[in-house]
Amino acid sequence: MTVLPWAVAAWLLGIGLYGIITSRHYLHLIGCLTVLQSSTYVLLLSAGYRWGAGAPIFYDHPPGTPAVDPVVQALVLTDIVVGATVSALLLALALQVHKRRGTLDPEELRPLRR
Amino acid sequence: MKPAARLVVTLVAALALLPGVVAVILHMPSFGDHALPYGDAINRLAPVERHVTNMVTAVNFDYRGFDTLGEEYMLLAAVTGALVLLRGRRGENVSDAPAKADGRSIAPRSPAVMLICRFFAPVLLLFGVYVVLHAQLTPGGGFQGGVIIGSGALLLYLGESYRTWRRFMRSLIFDMIEATGALIFVLAGFGPMMAGAKFLENTLPLGQSRALISGGLILVTNAGTALAVAGGFVLLLLEFLEETRALDAGDKS
Amino acid sequence: MTALLVLAFLLAAATGTGVVLTRHPRRQVVALAINGLALALLFMALQAPDVAYSELAVGTAALPLMFLGLLVSIATDRPEK
Repeated sequence: MTVLPWAVAAWLLGIGLYGIITSRHYLHLIGCLTVLQSSTYVLLLSAGYRWGAGAPIFYDHPPGTPAVDPVVQALVLTDIVVGATVSALLLALALQVHKRRGTLDPEELRPLRR
Repeated sequence: MKPAARLVVTLVAALALLPGVVAVILHMPSFGDHALPYGDAINRLAPVERHVTNMVTAVNFDYRGFDTLGEEYMLLAAVTGALVLLRGRRGENVSDAPAKADGRSIAPRSPAVMLICRFFAPVLLLFGVYVVLHAQLTPGGGFQGGVIIGSGALLLYLGESYRTWRRFMRSLIFDMIEATGALIFVLAGFGPMMAGAKFLENTLPLGQSRALISGGLILVTNAGTALAVAGGFVLLLLEFLEETRALDAGDKS
Repeated sequence: MTALLVLAFLLAAATGTGVVLTRHPRRQVVALAINGLALALLFMALQAPDVAYSELAVGTAALPLMFLGLLVSIATDRPEK
């Protein structure tokens, strides 16, 4: 059971990749990309955990109480917001593709097929 | 490559990589038991050195402030890219009639939604500002507060009709807010250099721990980030919802 | 390994699988929101309140809204040919 966090991260990565490879709609593909990104968040936060420790906020209890790692939390925090913005950029690209070609199916949009 | 062939290749590759994945998972450090030297150092030093109580904010805006500068500009670039893509074909006209899909009418807004949104949108905006201001004390910060303020703007859209909402949300203001936020962060970096210190070094008075004004330069960089994130998210919201308006006579779509 | 952590991890994996297996875009938006909520609960269980804040606001509100806005503009759009 102690390998559960790493297994969940690997599973999310695998299923996200599977979703991207077998996707038939570009919006579905962007959703699978979100799942892929969330696997890295799970991995990082699990790497920073410590049994019996609290959050790294020392407002209520004095500094020195056991706390988890704040560095990985800082990494994941900015990552989530920037990941959402990059997804927005991808969505705008998908909209332009739809305007030009009328479809959002990756199978129909192969470069050499006109 | 046909989809079926692609799926077969994927499965073969997954099976080939599976022993490696299992080996890595079994050799990972045990969950919750291994040493966290960098984290322990920050937890020990940051309250003393910077007089803050939120270690994540201290790492984000002070110890690793340079990385956050990069992330903020990544955000700016992505928002600019999305805006250029969306506005480039549509032009900069503002129209406030919502578009209709064929055969589906626009449902009138329900009074329950209007009441809830009108009550909660100001509360959410205030809460967002609270989260931003208490960055160095309690969980919160520029990134979280900025997104919450963006959600407050979303609630405003849900409560009012598209027409009303579009009339008072001018994208020029939010352009300026986002740009100001990014500029504040960079100036907060160059400011210490003019006093002889290094880029982004914390040279402002540190204040007292657990007070609202503490942490020195963290306040400035935090404010810059909050402005940039809030402005960026509201801009994205505006542009995505603007795509749903009805086309005027002269639009090229 | 407490039961809460095990449950949170399994829930995150299950909702992630649900997002991938939901092929229709309009239904996938709801699956994305539920995935965001499950991830926020997992991050709280891992003692990371800042990250849970971020994930909650982004994953349940901002991102599904952008998806929905795009679906609307695709449905009301006349592509040029």
